[in-house]
Amino acid sequence: MDKNIYEPIRCEVKEVITESPTIKTVVLKPEREFSFLAGQFASLTVPGVGEAPFTPSSSPYDKEKLEFTVMKTGRVTDAIHNLKSGDIVGVRGPYGKPYPLDRYKGKEVLLVGGGVGLAPIRALFLALLETITNYKRIVFCCGARTPEDYIYKGLILDQWQKLCEKHPLCFRITVDKKDEKWKYGEGVVTKTLDGLDVDIKNSVAVVCGPPIMMKFTTLKLLEIGYKEDQIYLSMERKMYCAVGQCRHCLIGDLFVCKDGPVFTYDQIKDKPNIWA
Amino acid sequence: METLYITKKDWDSFIKGKAETSNILAPFEDEGKLFYKKISSDGKEEIVYNRARTVEPLKLFLVPFKERVVPEVQEIPEMVIMGVSACDVQGLKILDRVFMEDEYKDPNYTNRREKTVIISFDCLAPYPSCFCELVGVHPYPEDGFDLNVSIFEDGVLVDIGSQKGRSFIGEDQKFFQASREQINKREKNRQIVVEKIKEQNREFDLEEITEKLKGAYQTELWRQPKDIENCVQCGSCTNNCPTCVCFLLEDTGSQEIMKKVKVWDSCLFPGYARMAAGVSPRPTLYDRYANRLLCKYWYIVENFGMKGCTGCGRCIAGCAGKIDKRKVLTEVLRERQRI
Repeated sequence: MDKNIYEPIRCEVKEVITESPTIKTVVLKPEREFSFLAGQFASLTVPGVGEAPFTPSSSPYDKEKLEFTVMKTGRVTDAIHNLKSGDIVGVRGPYGKPYPLDRYKGKEVLLVGGGVGLAPIRALFLALLETITNYKRIVFCCGARTPEDYIYKGLILDQWQKLCEKHPLCFRITVDKKDEKWKYGEGVVTKTLDGLDVDIKNSVAVVCGPPIMMKFTTLKLLEIGYKEDQIYLSMERKMYCAVGQCRHCLIGDLFVCKDGPVFTYDQIKDKPNIWA
Repeated sequence: METLYITKKDWDSFIKGKAETSNILAPFEDEGKLFYKKISSDGKEEIVYNRARTVEPLKLFLVPFKERVVPEVQEIPEMVIMGVSACDVQGLKILDRVFMEDEYKDPNYTNRREKTVIISFDCLAPYPSCFCELVGVHPYPEDGFDLNVSIFEDGVLVDIGSQKGRSFIGEDQKFFQASREQINKREKNRQIVVEKIKEQNREFDLEEITEKLKGAYQTELWRQPKDIENCVQCGSCTNNCPTCVCFLLEDTGSQEIMKKVKVWDSCLFPGYARMAAGVSPRPTLYDRYANRLLCKYWYIVENFGMKGCTGCGRCIAGCAGKIDKRKVLTEVLRERQRI
């Protein structure tokens, strides 16, 4: 008999990091190796509570641990927020199509992440760093509602900034509404795309964030000259099986679990309610 | 395909003998409708041959309404299902594609399917809701079964569809090669039923339905057929459909032992696609109704190269809102044509 496709790998919770008032990162140690490529997702089971799909936020190159950054929005995510070190959870996957890094070679890669949408972008960014010579430059646009809501502050505002000195890399950082201590930009994340010094013809844009942010970022990217097939979106839908059977995650005729979760805008633009 | 002939009397005693050692389900009549029941060895009740589809879709026995999948079920008994209509044999092809023939195999389904013998029947007395001919399916199966049974005068023609079917017959000496004449005569009987189904569906037009429904997402379009507003979102159509496979997974275990239970779901339910934050990409009844039919006649064609509707008509016969899907589709396609 083949391995049971619904059976998760047991993982021990090593640490739970509070990123913001509504977002936490759980650091897991899987019982056996769990490999994934940036952009692929996994189903995370809280035993006895439920299961939900998340894209890991840790580096695909890190074989020791697996991290998920999760916003508290419902029953399963509430339970994830209540996890403590030593608890056991389940992970199955990886599922779906990753970011096609081969197609990003030699290009300027524009990353646009908003709120908890920075989680998959972080895994992608860490993967790009490993192969940084393959890309012309990385421009990383980050947004959140307020400074308090910013996740990965220690990385984005400090550790990763230092990388800009030795790599072709820059950050454009904003919050919707700043406070007195904030020394970066103010305004919604699309504002970071104003005056972008990128050779758009030779660039790809990767966007992840709440639906409204993805919608307006996509529209803005189109406006400044990105083509529909140069815009990569990470889509989200209700999901159970994650393997193309339960049919909950359909966007029109496309499965988020199998055909996605990464889609180019031209793949999904004619599908119904894509920004729901 | 090899076709055998056996007298009805010999067939009856053959099945009776089989029922002593195997678990055989067959159609029996109850208040004018057909339901699967286990054949009892006393043989008091009469199996109904070659009438029409059963009330229950075949999937009920292969994908139970609720079943544990983690850990997978260990004890899956062998089973013979007799009297499967051609529309359900067609539906079985979809079930196989979803649960067994993809990279990811459902453990219970795969196991159960291997242990199940499918004996199909020709339909000779279809219901008014039957419309298989409108979706390219005939009221008699041509493949996908282990054995197919056609009642023929005082005898039975048995088509052998697989090695499993051949083993079921075994070395029984009462079976003979069917003659060309017998097969031709059966063909004539079959064509009478085909004509009957075509005739009772004359007012409906589902020609080129897949092409015409491509991209037909618009909520406004699905507001046009007045009948859709009678949908009470009960899930009867999806539960009774031989190819609706949507399910959800429930976690019932603990940190020590993880358990998952698979339960049928329905895309007509308002909560079906609703995400954690409360947003649904299909907020209105019309979006959900459209999704079901687009899935049947377009998405599944993209996924598996065949329609997800087999024309069994159970969604019409069992609709609490008395919606005739054929009428709705005819109106939607006409509207598409007009735009």
